[in-house]
Amino acid sequence: MTDGPLIVQSDKTLLLEVDHDQAEACRRAIAPFAELERAPEHVHTYRLTPLGLWNARAAGHDAEQVVDVLLQYSRYPVPHALLVDVADTMSRYGRLQLVQDPVHGLILHALDPAVLVEVVRSKRTAGLLGARIDATDVIVHPSERGHLKQVLLKLGWPAEDLAGYVDGEAHQIDLLEDGWHLRPYQKQAVDGFFHGGSGVVVLPCGAGKTLVGAGAMARSSTTTLILVTNTVSARQWRDELIKRTSLTEDEIGEYSGARKEIRPVTIATYQVLTTKRKGVYTHLELLDARDWGLVVYDEVHLLPAPIFRMTADLQARRRLGLTATLVREDGREDEVFSLIGPKRFDAPWKDIEAQGYIAPADCVEVRLTLPDADRMAYATAEPEEKYRLAATAKGKNRVVEQLVAKHEGEPTLVIGQYLDQLHTLAEHIGADLITGETRVSERQRLFDAFRSGEITKLVVSKVANFSIDLPEAAVAIQVSGSFGSRQEEAQRLGRIMRPKADGRTAHFYTVVARDTVDQDFAAHRQRFLAEQGYAYSIVDAEDLVIEQ
Amino acid sequence: MSSFIGYLRDRSDDELVALLRSRPDLASPSPATLSSLAVRATSRSSLERALAGSDASVLQVLEAVTALSDGGTVRASDLPAAVGAKDEAEVAAVERALRLAIVAALVYPDDEAPDGEHATTGGAASDRPDGATAALLASPGLAEVLGPYPAGLAGPDAGNRRAAVAPMDQPTPEEIPGLLEAAPTGAKPVLDALLWGPPVGLAPSNNTAAAAAVDWLIRRRLLAPGDARHVVLPRTVALTLRGGRTHAAPATSPPIPADAPHRAPGLVAAESAAAGERATLLVARLIRLWEQTPPAVLRGGGLGVRELRRAAQLLEVDEAEAAFVIELAGAAGFIADDGEEPASFAPTVAVDEWSSRDVPDRWAALARTWTTMLRTPWLVGGRDDRGGVRAALDPELQRAWAPRLRRSVLDALAQTKPGTALDAPGVLAVLRWRTPRSVPPVAAVAAVLAEAGRLGILGAGALSDAGRALLAESAPPVSRKSDTADPADALAAALPRAVDEILLQGDLTGVVPGRPSAALEDLLDRVTHVESRGGALTVRFTPESVRRALDAGATADGLLAELAGHSRGPVPQPLEYLVRDAARRHGRLRAGSASSYLRADDPSLLAGLTEDSRLASLGLVRLAPTVLASQAPASELVDMLRAHGLAPVVEGPDGQVLHIAASARRVGRRAAVAARRRETASPREQLSDERLLALVPALRRAEEERRLDESERLPGSLLTASRQSTHGSPTAPALGDAGAAAEDTPSDLGSTHEGVRADGASQPPAADAEPLAPGSTGTADPVDALVLLREAAAEKVAVWVELVGSSGVPDRRLLRPVLVEGGRLRAIDPARESELTVAVHRIASVTRDVPAAALPTTTHHEEST
Repeated sequence: MTDGPLIVQSDKTLLLEVDHDQAEACRRAIAPFAELERAPEHVHTYRLTPLGLWNARAAGHDAEQVVDVLLQYSRYPVPHALLVDVADTMSRYGRLQLVQDPVHGLILHALDPAVLVEVVRSKRTAGLLGARIDATDVIVHPSERGHLKQVLLKLGWPAEDLAGYVDGEAHQIDLLEDGWHLRPYQKQAVDGFFHGGSGVVVLPCGAGKTLVGAGAMARSSTTTLILVTNTVSARQWRDELIKRTSLTEDEIGEYSGARKEIRPVTIATYQVLTTKRKGVYTHLELLDARDWGLVVYDEVHLLPAPIFRMTADLQARRRLGLTATLVREDGREDEVFSLIGPKRFDAPWKDIEAQGYIAPADCVEVRLTLPDADRMAYATAEPEEKYRLAATAKGKNRVVEQLVAKHEGEPTLVIGQYLDQLHTLAEHIGADLITGETRVSERQRLFDAFRSGEITKLVVSKVANFSIDLPEAAVAIQVSGSFGSRQEEAQRLGRIMRPKADGRTAHFYTVVARDTVDQDFAAHRQRFLAEQGYAYSIVDAEDLVIEQ
Repeated sequence: MSSFIGYLRDRSDDELVALLRSRPDLASPSPATLSSLAVRATSRSSLERALAGSDASVLQVLEAVTALSDGGTVRASDLPAAVGAKDEAEVAAVERALRLAIVAALVYPDDEAPDGEHATTGGAASDRPDGATAALLASPGLAEVLGPYPAGLAGPDAGNRRAAVAPMDQPTPEEIPGLLEAAPTGAKPVLDALLWGPPVGLAPSNNTAAAAAVDWLIRRRLLAPGDARHVVLPRTVALTLRGGRTHAAPATSPPIPADAPHRAPGLVAAESAAAGERATLLVARLIRLWEQTPPAVLRGGGLGVRELRRAAQLLEVDEAEAAFVIELAGAAGFIADDGEEPASFAPTVAVDEWSSRDVPDRWAALARTWTTMLRTPWLVGGRDDRGGVRAALDPELQRAWAPRLRRSVLDALAQTKPGTALDAPGVLAVLRWRTPRSVPPVAAVAAVLAEAGRLGILGAGALSDAGRALLAESAPPVSRKSDTADPADALAAALPRAVDEILLQGDLTGVVPGRPSAALEDLLDRVTHVESRGGALTVRFTPESVRRALDAGATADGLLAELAGHSRGPVPQPLEYLVRDAARRHGRLRAGSASSYLRADDPSLLAGLTEDSRLASLGLVRLAPTVLASQAPASELVDMLRAHGLAPVVEGPDGQVLHIAASARRVGRRAAVAARRRETASPREQLSDERLLALVPALRRAEEERRLDESERLPGSLLTASRQSTHGSPTAPALGDAGAAAEDTPSDLGSTHEGVRADGASQPPAADAEPLAPGSTGTADPVDALVLLREAAAEKVAVWVELVGSSGVPDRRLLRPVLVEGGRLRAIDPARESELTVAVHRIASVTRDVPAAALPTTTHHEEST
């Protein structure tokens, strides 16, 4: 029995005691193959999953290294079955390879003929594979490259894609590093991606994912298709690219509901790609409009299912996925793995925060006791009405007011879900309101004003959740939100996690009604944030008054 | 040639004790006399049992002796060469095997060896096998049990049915090489194929090259024709071609796979302790689960699939493991059918005592149950013969062989170096050597290994110290060592040091970085929900888990103080909020029980009633100004109030509060004991040395008494008796009557011992039939008659058998017994050139065929001693 910082549980979770001397070394050692599940203050929980282990394999780690690391840092004897399982799982990756054969084109090559037999016999590969060449090779229909990889992953034999990529149309792109430089971790991310060919870079919101994208484009120097979540996000990408690279406005096209430009670098929204007319995706030709050398997916965790299918046909092109989290609410993590690629770079939020690139955040839950009349209304409400009642409790207005007053002068965002409530609140604190109905130009104007410090208060609806860039938001107050989705939480936190010029602490308030379903949702939120390692405290609304 | 009975009779007490020790079934129940002991020792079931427990090396010796002594003489000194032993170690192994075989009376040295060299009958444990030069004989009945082709050799007269009377002549060993030299191509492969057995081959179809070769071989008598379609390789030919050997190579030692993985002792101990603790915990959790909601008993007596699935889900294990836990708890007597209507499975009173002990003791109780339990949990979920799903706790899942299988699997592991992890095929390879005639299916071995792993008897696949201690403890007293460790202590030593500290975190989880101490475990058990176990324990605090603790009487301050006491840092604020929130909400609703209520619009009226001392017996409590609750039933309440001059009216039953207490259910102690008795093998009367030592002289005494008895009654003549019977009574006093009479007087030699009922009588009631002294040339004693018949069958000699036909007329015939089995004698009648089968109970007497005898009756008298 050593005195290591790691405890390996037989259910494949790894518990890392962070106060231990060797914790840091251990964290670095296990990061390549274990997924960080939660990171509260004392003990971080990692999990060994097949995907994680395969990601590690793809990154060049072998089972022996993994086993060594576990044995080296483990405090107690490591369950034998777990070690066997790790070795087994890891050995499954790469027994099959997708390679280009000079004669037959794309083939599936097996290092172990028995595996090939198993795969060829499986019903699921029917139609994806062509003629058998010999004991170890079988022809793959080039159009099914992505689909085949998906199926192989499901069969438990993830293939290593060595078939390479088309070069694509060359197009000179350079980074203009005048007065700024790629941060070290961004450089590592670009290198990791390019070395691996295709794959996903996981970085927290505010850690500069756009720059990683720009870096990858510069390295590739080819025509690039960028897929983003919405128009606002598309414009931000464009502005950022113009600012950070040699690209000019003319070289960048926007392909959205409003405009349909195809340029050497084209930024398209998910929405326009998934638009169907008479059951047909009308804008699919965009994918083949040019000989793209690189496809960038922003916010991979939000990538809609149809785009996955389209992506299956893009396997010959280099693909870069950018995301803050690999966790998908729909559980399609494995499709990201097989269609975009293995994780190529990952840095835990706390790490980057510690390096001073994102603001430390102080998460506070303000609990509001409802007056008796509201409680009675709540108690007798229909179940589907309960959340709305609790979330829009009138008392919250007063609390928000107090919080805004407390942070007077600091850029403050108030986020909510219910429009009535947001309207009232906007009036109450005298701030502008952005909802889905706000025109894009108006939105841009308000954001710009907020960014420039012209206005310090802004009330936003759900629409603010994704891909808007509010660099100076130092305070976020959430009054209502949909049902405690982890993804949404990551996004909201991301809004205020951008580094502050003066290194101030960001504040993230959630106002919840006590003893209601609102509080239950808050519990999810609390768990998520605490798991992410943020300090989380609870304050009674009454105490807030006294504080002031 | 000496008889088996005679041989046994000449053994010393020590040797007999050794025999009984090596074949315990012979002594239980105690036989009455040495003769009955001999009968039992030569019965098919006992021999089968003895062979089932013999290792490959002993079996080789038995086969060799059977094959070689049949039509020849075999001496102990011949055996090593016969089985192919080359070096000293192998020879020693063969000698050891022979010693074991002799001790078990499976083979015995012929004391009356024709060469006159008398065999020494040294102690069973003596260094060298009995009488190295004495001819060895297989015990009567052994040949049949070993099958038609011992060592893959055909019988001396095999292959020629017509030769039943006159064995077919076979080429002499000297002729064979010459014959072979002239053999055509194609003949050699035929011989090679049959050489090491089985010696029977399918004859090739006509007009083929192979057919020609086979024909040639048959003409040279190198092959013998079997039936129409088969050919047989005669024994002499086979033995000659084998170079006189019966086996290609000696089976000297159990094969332990050389590449069997080796586990570090630390790992074995850690995994064993973790698994042991886990198993204990699972049983405890199952009990806790079922005391709240006892599942229903199926009509067939088992647990429904849905209930099994539910248990698996709540225990967070797979169904196979859940079935194991349930079966284990059932076998330990912790769970039983409560016998109520409808019946459900509920924890028994035995649980309370078990739960109060600490983990190692609890584990030891479970592990001991496991080694003796008849249950076969791995069959749960499979299909039975009728296609039905086998349910857990189904009474039909009892298998008498289960404890034996567990033992033999653990024994196999115990043979290996500590730390060796054998998988099922590895264990099977060992078992195949240790008990080749009763090799369990690989699935059963794998299941037992899995069970042992779950219980922590194995750690990482290797036998743990605790498992070793358990095995040593359960060894039969005869071979038990005195200094065995207590399994509970062994497990306790392997358990990691207890940790008394918990790391509380803001996400409402806590981590105990190690095995929690009892106090901490108890606290966490009350207030948390366990998320994962292993080297560490991770728990989560939820509103429900905290409420549970509050329900049990804890207070918010108390809980927080307790948690702070175990926590390294302060209690995180969110956790404090959670506990305080739960406490704030706890008890806002109050519930109680009342039998009836009183309500009135006038509070003063009710206030008067509560103050009235005459109404005290009603137990009136004021719940609200206008509502009183009473402990008395409504009718009593109303009657009493009326008696006091009030005029209450009774309300309908609506609104009456029902309080259902969640009580822990228990089945009475008797059911618990019965359940345990049913589920575990009865702690079989262990054959202690004292008992065996006492038994042997008793046998000898009884034998002497019987012989004295018989010699007094000697004048009774069988012949006259049977003559009388032909005239007088239509039913001759045949053995069958003896057997029938014996059934009334329960004898030691239970009639259940194989089908031979006739061997039940130790004292033939047919007193007028001539009782011949056993061991002599003839007998009417059913016990001895059977031995004589078996001996004759083994020696292939003819005996005089007096049969009683259906008309009751006795009929004397000279028969060559072939087989005595299942209450029947199969014999060849050389005079009529036919084979006949007679029920044993129709045999009145058996007499050896002594050539000089003029009349059988006189022979008896001359030969009796």
